[in-house]
Amino acid sequence: MSTAGVRRGATGFTLLGLAGLIGLFWMSFFWVSTEVNQGIVQRIFYVHVPAAWTSFLAIGIAALCSGVYLWLRDEKLDRAAVCAAEGGLVFATIVLLTGPLWGKIAWGTYWNWEPRLTLTLLLWFVLVGYFMVRNATEDPEKGKRFAAVVAIVGAIDIPFIHLSVIWFRSLHPEPVVAKPDGPTLPGDMLATLMVGLGVFTLLFFGLFLFRYALEGLRSEADLRARRPTS
Amino acid sequence: MSAYFRQVCAIVKKDVLLEVRSRDRITAMGAFAVLAGVLFNFSIDTTTTRPQDVAAGLIWMTLIFGGLLGVGRTFHLEAQDGAFQGVLTSPVPKDAIFLAKVIANFTLLYAVSLLVLGVFALFFSLDIGPNLPWIMVILALGSLGFVALATLFAAVSTGTTMGETLLPVLVFPLLVPMVVFGVGSTGRLMNGRPFDEVEGNVRMLGAFAFAAVAAGAVLFRYVVED
Amino acid sequence: MSPSAPYSPSGVDTDAPTESPTLEAIDLVREYGPVTAVDGVDLSLDTGEFLTIFGPNGAGKTSLLGMLAGATRPTRGEVKISGLPISLSEHDWRSKVGILSHRGFLYARLTAEENLRFYGELFGLDDLSDRIAEHLERVGLADRARFEVRQLSHGMRQRLSLARALLHDPDVVFLDEPYTGLDPSAAGLLRGVLNELKDGRRTVVMVTHNLTEGLQMATRVAIQVGGRFVWEQDASDIDFAGFERQYHAVVEARS
Repeated sequence: MSTAGVRRGATGFTLLGLAGLIGLFWMSFFWVSTEVNQGIVQRIFYVHVPAAWTSFLAIGIAALCSGVYLWLRDEKLDRAAVCAAEGGLVFATIVLLTGPLWGKIAWGTYWNWEPRLTLTLLLWFVLVGYFMVRNATEDPEKGKRFAAVVAIVGAIDIPFIHLSVIWFRSLHPEPVVAKPDGPTLPGDMLATLMVGLGVFTLLFFGLFLFRYALEGLRSEADLRARRPTS
Repeated sequence: MSAYFRQVCAIVKKDVLLEVRSRDRITAMGAFAVLAGVLFNFSIDTTTTRPQDVAAGLIWMTLIFGGLLGVGRTFHLEAQDGAFQGVLTSPVPKDAIFLAKVIANFTLLYAVSLLVLGVFALFFSLDIGPNLPWIMVILALGSLGFVALATLFAAVSTGTTMGETLLPVLVFPLLVPMVVFGVGSTGRLMNGRPFDEVEGNVRMLGAFAFAAVAAGAVLFRYVVED
Repeated sequence: MSPSAPYSPSGVDTDAPTESPTLEAIDLVREYGPVTAVDGVDLSLDTGEFLTIFGPNGAGKTSLLGMLAGATRPTRGEVKISGLPISLSEHDWRSKVGILSHRGFLYARLTAEENLRFYGELFGLDDLSDRIAEHLERVGLADRARFEVRQLSHGMRQRLSLARALLHDPDVVFLDEPYTGLDPSAAGLLRGVLNELKDGRRTVVMVTHNLTEGLQMATRVAIQVGGRFVWEQDASDIDFAGFERQYHAVVEARS
């Protein structure tokens, strides 16, 4: 796909995502009914959960692209991995900011070693490590390889971390959607959540493609800058 | 296959021989372990906490910090006089180099972990007698998983401009499962609980170690190529 | 100054023209981010040839050697040994290659004999004890076999390192600044052993600053500046006395 094509796609996804975001905010502030036990603060759920979903989607994409990058050594795959990791870092940060806001009211403390929040925190650190390694080598190509290894090992480790933190302790609201006997969430809440998941995924891909196009332009510029000197 | 085995053996033998000759890492790690035990003793207020209750956690933390101290140096030792370049340009598959490094580092760390166990049992009067064999198995699985991750990322951080300071940042988030399952199982066994209760943890620890070794063996080649 | 074509056949070529060269590099490029260390080097050497590469610091000589020896992945281009492309994930071709660097690749706390044994095991060699004894003899270190490397002088280490590089009897030998830090007598010993390498069975590539030593050994000479071979000639056509002046003229014209 050409850079122009990527940019068109990016614009499309992002505009759709932003429009959806307005819709999601309207739904979560005005349309959906207030949850009985937790009150108004539970509405943060419609941002918190989709952001978490997106951050894990992002590390998955980053690890996948990294793996194929190590195999084929196509710069495009490395660029895609960075963009996904960056998106993951942004959305994981959203989770880590919205979680304590919700937690302060729902649990009475800002931080709590709740498994899924802990998992997101560790994912956040893995992603930070990804960028630290990338920028800590003199040879950029080496940084790309190292970062790819971090992303892959991180993605493999996440199920283990998930199991271990659940085993360690759980205070979090029980899963409300992905349960064997069907979702227990009331219809309007489920609908809002689903819209949230869709909107955040769209936004993620929009931002991802924008970043990807930008990286493409940057590497073209690098190439052009190199030509006359050599 | 036998050529592969011979190459792995040669590297392990070389590493062990170097360690026996210099005793650099084992001395540093052993001293660290004992001194950590001494400091932990003063960090626990015995009027509010029974040392026995937190001993398992302290043992694992000592292992992790002591392990980073030793394993983090593994490629620095190789880098002197460029020797590792010689190994990398020999016909040894990169996964064989990784496995050999893991075996050598594991031997070192496991020796230290048994020392830690003994010292902490003495310092905090732990009653580990009845469950000792299982505790030793758990420490072995934990050390193996740790060594696999630490060896892979020691190679990464040695290759960066930040050097060893980067190693904890990369490894600590990944070590959470090992700490949770390791501390959970050793803690209970030290309190005289039966093995059945912690069997699941030990299985998870084994799976973690296996995954770490396998991932390292596959990915190591991408870290050391230049 | 007469830059010759990269594929110019060597004057001492006795092989049939259809046979592939022992060492071949095709348009090798290595970039380190924005820096281009090696910028399109072509190379073709037959058995028995000894190529010396001169060049100022930062000319990309070590990067080139790294790619030829399979230690560094080329950004673009390809290296072939006896017609087969080398691959960083394959290992068999590596036993055809020996590397001697100014760094010894030796373990200071192992004895001379143990160092050679270690590398011998890595290369899967048979009759190791005999082979080690023979090689130690050849570099004049038979009486130092049980000395730890840290107890040896720099010159002895360099000779031991030479034994290490040749232990598996490689077809292709790479020498990276082998004369660095050697006193005249050690350099003389090294020259003696390197001369033995010109036994017609091997292909040698040497990178060095030492014009005198480099020129004595070579059957072909190249000058690398800015990542490229800017000058290449058969040694038989070179005026040894005037070479130093010529070298500086070439380097200054290109940098």
